[in-house]
Amino acid sequence: MTIVDDPAAPIAIPAAPDQATVARRERLRLLLRSPTFVLGLVLVGIWILCALFGTLLAPQNPQFPDVLNKLAPPSADHLFGSDRLGRDVLSRVIVGARSVLVIAPLATLLGTVVGTTIGLICGYYRGLVDEVTMRLVDAVLAIPVIITALLAVVALGPSRRTLVLVIGFLFAPIIAKTVRAAVLGEAQLEYVQAARLRNERSPYVMFAEILPNVMGPVVVEFTVRLGYAIFAVATLSFLGFGADPSIPDWGHDISENYVFINGGAWWPVLFPALAIATLIVGINLIADAIAQTFER
Amino acid sequence: MDETQRRVDEIRKESTELENHIIDQFIEGKMTRRDLMRRGTVVGMSIPLLSFIAAACGGGNDSASTGTGGGTATGEVTAGGNVRVALIQPTTAPNPLLVQDEGGAGLLGSTGEFLSFSNSDLELEPRLAEKWEPNDDGSEWTFTIRQGVKFHSGATLVADDVVQTFEKLINPKGGSANAQSALGGVLSPGNIEAPDDATVVFHLDAPNGNFPTLVSSANYNAIIIPADLDPADWGKTFEGTGPFKLQSFTPKQGAKFVRNDAYWGDKANPDSMELKFYDDEAPMVLGIQGDEVDFVEHFSVSGGKALLDDPNVQVIAIRTATHRQVHMRTDKDPFTDKRVRQAIALSIDRAALVDGLWEGKADLGNDSPFAPVYPATDTSVAQREQDLEQAKQLLADAGASNVTVELDTWNGFEIPDLAQLIKQNAAEIGVTLNLKITDAATYYGDGVFGKSRWLDSVMGITDYGHRPVPNVYLTASLSGDPKIGVWNSAHFKNDEYDSLVQQYVAALDLDSQKGVAKQIQELLLDETPIIFPYFYNFLSAAKPNLKNAVSAATGQFDLSKAGFTS
Amino acid sequence: MGRFLLKRLGLALITLFLLGVFVFIGAQVLPGNVARRILGPFADQSAVENLNHQLGTDRPLLTQYWDWITSFFRGDLGDSLAYHVPVSSLIGDALVNSLKLAALAFVLVVPIAILGGVIAALKRDRAIDRVITLGGLSLSVIPEFVTGIMLILVFALWLDVLPVSANAPDNADPLTQIKYLLLPAFTLVLVLFGYIARITRAGTIESLDSDYTRTAILKGLPRRTVVRRHVLRNSLLPTIAVVATQTGYLIVGLVVIETLFNYPGMGRLIFTAATQKDFPLLEAAVLIVGIVFLIANLAADLAYSLLNPRIRYAAAE
Repeated sequence: MTIVDDPAAPIAIPAAPDQATVARRERLRLLLRSPTFVLGLVLVGIWILCALFGTLLAPQNPQFPDVLNKLAPPSADHLFGSDRLGRDVLSRVIVGARSVLVIAPLATLLGTVVGTTIGLICGYYRGLVDEVTMRLVDAVLAIPVIITALLAVVALGPSRRTLVLVIGFLFAPIIAKTVRAAVLGEAQLEYVQAARLRNERSPYVMFAEILPNVMGPVVVEFTVRLGYAIFAVATLSFLGFGADPSIPDWGHDISENYVFINGGAWWPVLFPALAIATLIVGINLIADAIAQTFER
Repeated sequence: MDETQRRVDEIRKESTELENHIIDQFIEGKMTRRDLMRRGTVVGMSIPLLSFIAAACGGGNDSASTGTGGGTATGEVTAGGNVRVALIQPTTAPNPLLVQDEGGAGLLGSTGEFLSFSNSDLELEPRLAEKWEPNDDGSEWTFTIRQGVKFHSGATLVADDVVQTFEKLINPKGGSANAQSALGGVLSPGNIEAPDDATVVFHLDAPNGNFPTLVSSANYNAIIIPADLDPADWGKTFEGTGPFKLQSFTPKQGAKFVRNDAYWGDKANPDSMELKFYDDEAPMVLGIQGDEVDFVEHFSVSGGKALLDDPNVQVIAIRTATHRQVHMRTDKDPFTDKRVRQAIALSIDRAALVDGLWEGKADLGNDSPFAPVYPATDTSVAQREQDLEQAKQLLADAGASNVTVELDTWNGFEIPDLAQLIKQNAAEIGVTLNLKITDAATYYGDGVFGKSRWLDSVMGITDYGHRPVPNVYLTASLSGDPKIGVWNSAHFKNDEYDSLVQQYVAALDLDSQKGVAKQIQELLLDETPIIFPYFYNFLSAAKPNLKNAVSAATGQFDLSKAGFTS
Repeated sequence: MGRFLLKRLGLALITLFLLGVFVFIGAQVLPGNVARRILGPFADQSAVENLNHQLGTDRPLLTQYWDWITSFFRGDLGDSLAYHVPVSSLIGDALVNSLKLAALAFVLVVPIAILGGVIAALKRDRAIDRVITLGGLSLSVIPEFVTGIMLILVFALWLDVLPVSANAPDNADPLTQIKYLLLPAFTLVLVLFGYIARITRAGTIESLDSDYTRTAILKGLPRRTVVRRHVLRNSLLPTIAVVATQTGYLIVGLVVIETLFNYPGMGRLIFTAATQKDFPLLEAAVLIVGIVFLIANLAADLAYSLLNPRIRYAAAE
């Protein structure tokens, strides 16, 4: 809680770290002791490393097709086997982390920024603005998100930028709802009244006063949504919405090589699938652990 | 003089000058037996007669074998039975004017019949036309229509039905786009007459030695329908004259047919035929390996690899002219300099494409529409092969460095694979290709210049289906005349080329066709507006106990003689 | 209760109306010229313009929208551009297929998840609880196609006991149809298990800790009877409500599963309609999806408020 500014009081001396910082540090300590958090961190950490240093870590060029050796089973040459064009699956899995770990966080960031803004506005102003916005939000959420996403991607054409925009804007309403609920709770409190009485402008009240106090839910939403964003990116690229199939991408690689399962070639499908699974589970473990510390 | 020779002379006396010329070429060894059959049937000579000539006159030997032929193994089969066929989902309603895909072609050909059937050897077998003949210069073709043929509804087939069928097809207001692409510039509306019930005369816009092929089953919209039938209603009854007639049709799912006992020819062997529509290839492949279907009309090498390796499946491979065109806009950087275009063409490892993408089931393409399967193709023209050193040299000569191009295409068939392989090949000579792969609707857009990625992109890959003669590829895809070159994605404009093509189209005999072809091939190798990497085989699959099933490269199939061995 | 329902219904209708507008505008924005879609890329431009005029796609937007909306309510959903049959028949078939799969998944997941949740609650904080909770959580966040592929690899490829496609041959008996639907249904079970089990677990724990339960045990009733008679009934209330919220998704949200198993349900229909730019089919299908989703959610809300005594009493006041 922030301390209300009293213009008549003497100038405060910067004293010991205030309650907020102490709480934050305590939370961090709790997190590091939680096994779920650590496990999540390890899983996600591995993939972040792959995303950053993929080209160095990959044993072979992930885009190099060796068509005469396509669909070769795992061997010393290709630890994870080769795919439909003879490319090394291990290298594609390693470098493929980059695709997901660039698009998903960007989309989540976009969604969080837009959603938080909307939530703040609706929760603060209430009234007509709130009602209308919420109805529009409901309309967007009136059909399963995956369908809205795929329609938007079909309309805008497949590209990484489209994926970021579509996923971001689809998450915004969901995040807006959560933030709005939190803001509704905060808006009744004294410090907000006080700020209003001081004739502070509305944007200031929203972003400088209220926002810091709803950061908790915002952070939790961000981490949870990040998991969903990865989910969405993988699913949309599986459905076939990537523009350049030579660039390693887990979802896309799975859909391209899926047809060969019949012939017994499981490796180009299994390994990217495991990659998606471990990354998402990792993120969710982290999100869960963070949410739990806020609940205490 | 022995009996055979006497017979041959008799035949010669009764034959036209054109037909005699063909026989001469065969005897002189300028034409193989296969070519004789092909050219002969195209100009209207009957197969038995040609076989006799071939046997009697010896002459040239067969060129390289064309694969395993066009059908399953032949043999004794049990009478009756129900043959189940896997067909790719038709994308349009069953309307002879609107169909432009394999699934739709399969539907049309299931009950409908053509003037003639273009088989896998590119020979024309008479169907509703008994015979056909050109006039002296090939500007007029007379077809004799078989009499005593009844439609499934009971109405009798007359010449006027044929006339109206074609008039509807080439009608500029609402005809068949596909038929028009084949007959545009060849036949105009109002120029077909039926002097009597058994004769149809086509008055062509210009002499054309290959006309009968253009109105055969190779033009898959050209099933003969009653004159008074509105093509939009065809889907209700599937009205036709074929050995099978419609029992039921469920859109998106399939169709059932039963034997037509009033058929004019040999009654079909199977009691019934069932078509099942599949949205994707994978379930088709599973379907024949499981026990869902007996015959897969068409499968691809990549999707059906399991079938190629499966000893329990008969694979039918037909050489065709199906290909991909990798166009490079000659009027836009970096491709304005033909050396850059040649460099890209030289960077491509074609042998790897044929072996890797097609498991060897394809012919090498030599950057012109003249596929090895055409008799007119001059195979003495050197085959272009990968040469990275020369490619780099050409780029340097043209002063092109850090070339970066966007390659536009769509995600069907093996096209994404081809795009990625070309991208890699280009990278080896320092050219960066950024792939932009969308779906067919986005790539083809509105199909006109200015509103279509296909026609506007600097570099792209387009799929072209098989045609029994290269004419339409030579004109529509490469002509500098905007009225003719409606598919000219490379924006190629070369007067010498246009005049050579004119000569080729008018040429009536194989010799002259070949001569012009050689010049065209060499010109295109030099200019390289379009890379033709390969011409791949048409693959069908059948269960081992299904015999006498016939496939044709246009995606049609003939199961009238098919049956199961016990 | 009545007022609550009416309010929800009213909101739902407004949402549906907005959805309809979005869908119509969206379809106009989709790239692709209607007549060109039908006639294909190689057709003559004049033929395309002719057809567009015939179809009325060059009329003012408001007219087209009004036309569309009024015919929709008359039951006339138009004809599919691609297949030339009434859109309603295509949607009807797809909906039936989706319902079959949803029903099978429902029948499988509910008992399994409830069982899991109850066991986890009864053995709270012990190893089995951890396994069920964490396992369930992990499975639920993994994309459906990943789970589906794992199941396919194990059961269809390596063990070879189930088919890869979800399409039974025509006229197969119900048992065979079920066999073909097992893999996709089981994929859904794994996807939904975690969520439902967690709610059941929470509800069961709450019941177990309640005064009533403690009293019953003190009275000497065997624990098993207490669990069976009282705890289960109360813990099931939130579970049922939660399951109801998933129904909408089960019926119309399975684009990925249907693509994976090549199953002709609503999800796949929308996907093909969108990529083929088959506007009548697309618009009608999306609207129907919205309606089904809305009804399912409305029913879920209703079930939840009916079953949750707290809300029921509050509404009665």
